[in-house]
Amino acid sequence: MTMTQVTRRTGEPPGSTLAVSTAGLTKRFGDRTVVDDVGLAIPRGSVCGFVGPNGAGKTTTIRMLLGLIRPTAGGGSILGGSLAEPASYLPKVGALIESPAFYPQLSGRDNLKALARLGRVPSAAIEPALGRTGMTARAGDKYRSYSLGMKQRLGIAAALLPAPELLILDEPTNGLDPGGIVEMRGLIRSFAGDGITVLVSSHLISEIEQVCDHVVMIRAGRLVHQGPVAELAARRRPDILLAPEHAADLTRLASILEVSGLSVTASPGDGTVVVSASGAGAADLNRLAASGGITLAAITERTHSLEDVFFELTGADPAIGAGQEMGAIG
Amino acid sequence: MIGAAFISEWVKLRRKTLLLSTFLGLAAASSLFVVLIFSNAPAHGSGGGLPSLAQLARPNGLVFGLTRATFLLGVVAFGTAAAQTASEYSLGTLRQLLVRQPRRVTLLAGKMVAVVTFMALATAFAAVVAFLVANVMAASRGVPTSAWFTGTGLGDLLRALGNIELAVIGYSVLGLVIGQFLRSAVGAVIVGFAWLLVIEQFILTRIVPATAPWLPGISLSTIAGGGNADFGLTYGHGLIVAVAYIALAIAAASITFARRDVTA
Repeated sequence: MTMTQVTRRTGEPPGSTLAVSTAGLTKRFGDRTVVDDVGLAIPRGSVCGFVGPNGAGKTTTIRMLLGLIRPTAGGGSILGGSLAEPASYLPKVGALIESPAFYPQLSGRDNLKALARLGRVPSAAIEPALGRTGMTARAGDKYRSYSLGMKQRLGIAAALLPAPELLILDEPTNGLDPGGIVEMRGLIRSFAGDGITVLVSSHLISEIEQVCDHVVMIRAGRLVHQGPVAELAARRRPDILLAPEHAADLTRLASILEVSGLSVTASPGDGTVVVSASGAGAADLNRLAASGGITLAAITERTHSLEDVFFELTGADPAIGAGQEMGAIG
Repeated sequence: MIGAAFISEWVKLRRKTLLLSTFLGLAAASSLFVVLIFSNAPAHGSGGGLPSLAQLARPNGLVFGLTRATFLLGVVAFGTAAAQTASEYSLGTLRQLLVRQPRRVTLLAGKMVAVVTFMALATAFAAVVAFLVANVMAASRGVPTSAWFTGTGLGDLLRALGNIELAVIGYSVLGLVIGQFLRSAVGAVIVGFAWLLVIEQFILTRIVPATAPWLPGISLSTIAGGGNADFGLTYGHGLIVAVAYIALAIAAASITFARRDVTA
């Protein structure tokens, strides 16, 4: 599904195959447009990665989906309920929004109890939620004594309380150590196994790649791509690096390949010609070089990551992005 | 639905530290007033505005201390209530609450009823302790207490207790509303105290003394005292003005809470 198709959608009726569907979703704070005309189409039962740099508008979009922020324009439907009436769908939604927020003086269990009472969730749901997130043993301790990983897990437990059909997790691995990140990935995968639609936001594309089957990419408040992760694989044809035996042949090799209709870049610094994601095989390229009397010393494949695809889609410069414009991407 | 928000709020309110500090704090404050009044009461006449031992022996002698402590009880109620709404913003817990209860006015109403109930119970506890202390102090100063337990005495006691509860509820609601507006417990307490302790007094003494009947703090103290002889205000007048302020405050808080974006 392309972005154009999605933005023209005007909200899904009940029974739709989409868990989340928005059209023209926009939020402005004063003169600043934080989310601009976003049309989401998240299939039911998918694990959807919501990815973009810090400040891209992910959290604002999520807050609009949860009824915490009123959209300036646009609307949509979540689990068949109108975005304008959060009470129609939120009883079926669990959410962890940014960092977990609980009452420090209460135990983990009492924190869940307060939320369960408020949402009229049976008390019987508390222990399974604690068990699922591995928090049973520490549930009686005060929240303020928890490590960051435990706080995140309690946040997930709170989100699980209403037996959600849709789980919205905003940066659930923020601040976790590598072990915690692996644990969180496992949890997210297990939710998908239960048929829960999961929308998980992250500024780490590599993380999304490992757990999601659907992806929404956002940048500067605008949707740049959404669709199955598998669809992106088609964009990930590898570059092939050709190194001629003699550096003097570099320019001539590039010319031969260009004449054959390939997109190439000579890189004198490392003595290679880069053939961009052409789909041409190593044997074809070797043959072309040999036809020009050039012997290749090395043929190397360079695979593109989802991050590269993101940068390609957004037109951003990854060299700048690593430190500046793209914030923490990568 | 308000019931769910009310019960949920009580899970937080009944935590040991808050429960003990509020209940015992109010009891200590009101008992302190009782002890000071009985200790310093002259045998006859009045000394520095204090009732005499003879006055303390009258049917309404039991409530002197508690009535004098109302302003302090109100200030504590205001601060405690303000912290309950403001901390939801500072802790970020409001977003969790609103996901589980998206009907914002329902959430606010349940929270208000719970906090007001909590403060009313704390005040009742403080009153019971203060009355026990008054009996002990009466015995130590040789004040006869038989008049306290007559029909007139018990009637005065219940009336005074009801008025004090109403005043404390008023302070609590204003605290909840100011806390919700400012989203900062410290800010709310500073604004509340500044208004009650400084600004109202400044208006009364320096700007427009005639505004006394229409000021919220004076109105609440008029309710607590069953009238206000200093400004010549009746109990009924104080009650109407205070209820008007509280209704206005609740309406304004509900409208802003329902419409405000939650970015905390």
